[in-house]
Amino acid sequence: MTDSIILSHLQRVRASQTARGGFADRPDGQYRPDCTAWAILILQTQTQDTEQIDHARARLAAELHTDGRLCISPEHPDAIWPTPLAILAWTGASAYQDARTRAIQFLLQVQGTHWEKDPTNTIIGHDPSIPGWPWVMQTHSWVYPTALSIVALTSAGIREHPRIHQGIQLLLDRQLAQGGWNYGNTTVWGRELHPFPETTGIALNALAGHVPSDIVARSLAYLLEVLPSIRTPLSLGWGLLGLSAWRRTPAQAAHWISECLARQRRYGEYETVSLCVLLAAALAPRGLSSLLPSPGESESRP
Amino acid sequence: MHEQRAFGTGPPLTRRQLLKITLAGGLLAASGTSLWQWTNTPRLHAATFIGAAATYDLNLTQLIGQGFHELGITAATIRGKRILLKPNLVETHPGHEHINTHPFVVRAAAEAFLRLGASRVLVGEGPGHRQDTLQILEESGLAEVLNEDHIPFMNLNDLVGTSVPNAGKQTALSTLTFPTVLHEVDWIVSMPKMKTHHWTGVTLSMKNLFGLMPGLYYGWPKNVFHHAGLHESILDITATLKPHFAIVDGIVGMEGDGPLMGTPKPLGVLVMGRNLPAVDATCARLMGIDPYKIGYLSTAENWLGPIHERDIEQRGERIDSHQQPFRLLEHIPATRDIQLVKS
Repeated sequence: MTDSIILSHLQRVRASQTARGGFADRPDGQYRPDCTAWAILILQTQTQDTEQIDHARARLAAELHTDGRLCISPEHPDAIWPTPLAILAWTGASAYQDARTRAIQFLLQVQGTHWEKDPTNTIIGHDPSIPGWPWVMQTHSWVYPTALSIVALTSAGIREHPRIHQGIQLLLDRQLAQGGWNYGNTTVWGRELHPFPETTGIALNALAGHVPSDIVARSLAYLLEVLPSIRTPLSLGWGLLGLSAWRRTPAQAAHWISECLARQRRYGEYETVSLCVLLAAALAPRGLSSLLPSPGESESRP
Repeated sequence: MHEQRAFGTGPPLTRRQLLKITLAGGLLAASGTSLWQWTNTPRLHAATFIGAAATYDLNLTQLIGQGFHELGITAATIRGKRILLKPNLVETHPGHEHINTHPFVVRAAAEAFLRLGASRVLVGEGPGHRQDTLQILEESGLAEVLNEDHIPFMNLNDLVGTSVPNAGKQTALSTLTFPTVLHEVDWIVSMPKMKTHHWTGVTLSMKNLFGLMPGLYYGWPKNVFHHAGLHESILDITATLKPHFAIVDGIVGMEGDGPLMGTPKPLGVLVMGRNLPAVDATCARLMGIDPYKIGYLSTAENWLGPIHERDIEQRGERIDSHQQPFRLLEHIPATRDIQLVKS
């Protein structure tokens, strides 16, 4: 994969910025906070996008509720799952320290619905008593929002908080016996469900640096087995980010990313989040957190 | 009202009449319907079509066209309309092709609508478990078919939505958010796979509508509906959206631990109709399942559509000539004791 391929796709990301600073799922689309946060994460790796990124960060800050939640849209105040993405997008930007702190405080106090595990209940295999994070308030905790919250809080230096420990416990509880994670159910009515590459990738990003590798060895093996045949951006992107977080990047990774980008000739341009996740896999040497500015860089940025 | 008066003020009943009424009342009570409700609710009527197709290699376009004809859907009905086909794409796993609506059924439906003069046919789905819709599209084989036929696909999970008041009012959800693109089509066609379901008993054309609800607002899984009540959410979505047509892929369905872990069940039929509860009730009967024992279907009766066999005019094949009881698992409450018991 050449730098020119990456640069042309970064240009496509830039083209999805809206007039008020946020980013849309595609050029001429409507603002979405998740697209905005992902675009920031990708474009901040480039030196020339400072102004664009600042506008985008400002848009996210303007959308932040007073209690620190960032919702997918004003009509859906309970759909809080973009909040950890915003925390990541504000990393290293001192002008948004207050917004970031509020979002962190919100994330630390919010949790999915949970209930005591009934040892006689064999309907679902996981332990529903472990609090994690939900997609939408007043619903159960699931893998993606829990993993992303752990990544965001860890990036903010919060490594030993009880909520982090609970989130890690939840992810380990939801890891499938065969390896990998799906959306967050292990067994239902006694049958083990199947893993997905994208949720396996993000769970591995969350657990990197928190648990020893032998605990996730079967999930790493799952990704190493399936990724050679996957060329869709979310699964390949998250899968590679999961492996790189554990320094297991396959030698062919760049080639796979290049092939995946080429498939846009067939499917049309990928929407912003999918494209950014795939570009993140190309740009981040050691998992998603390696895209973020280091503490030294943080202080020098606006 | 006439029947109500007959019960309240008519001549004394004979012992034989009383016994009949008591038995009927018991059966209705078992289905959650009171005798008063059953006799006094205006009956809705609809037609469904059952088409026989032993394999996916047959001319399914012709079969769907035959169904249109039998159901009175003509070129005048479809000409110029924009059609959204909503198949059931959930997950893909090697050897589990019976999870998802077969691509050839989607292709045939698209061709059949275009032959009747549809101005545009789109395919859309928002899978409930996977964020990577494109991978499901590829691995199900649907991407290749749509690419060959130049039919556009929309990932409904990722589309910006519009909230509308919840017309069903069975859940506490005050609004439902549908992809805004649904306002830009004229017909919404639910195209499920005929499957058992370990939470709702069956998953057919009404349950398939969950895939219209964007994951952006409802999550992966769309857990908001689990918390609000699955049966109630199915009713709310159907009542609010009022889909226009259903084509159920029952050529090979799924029995046992559906909707993912069950085993293939070759039934050799497509079931079609304009009224979704009627289509689902017919499918349930084909599966050897009593539609009155499926919560959302029982509640839908004579509100969203007919459920009783006498209110559904069967066209094409007969139910009893294709009925094959689907394997139901006793340890799963949703599929326990829902068998159709022949009187």
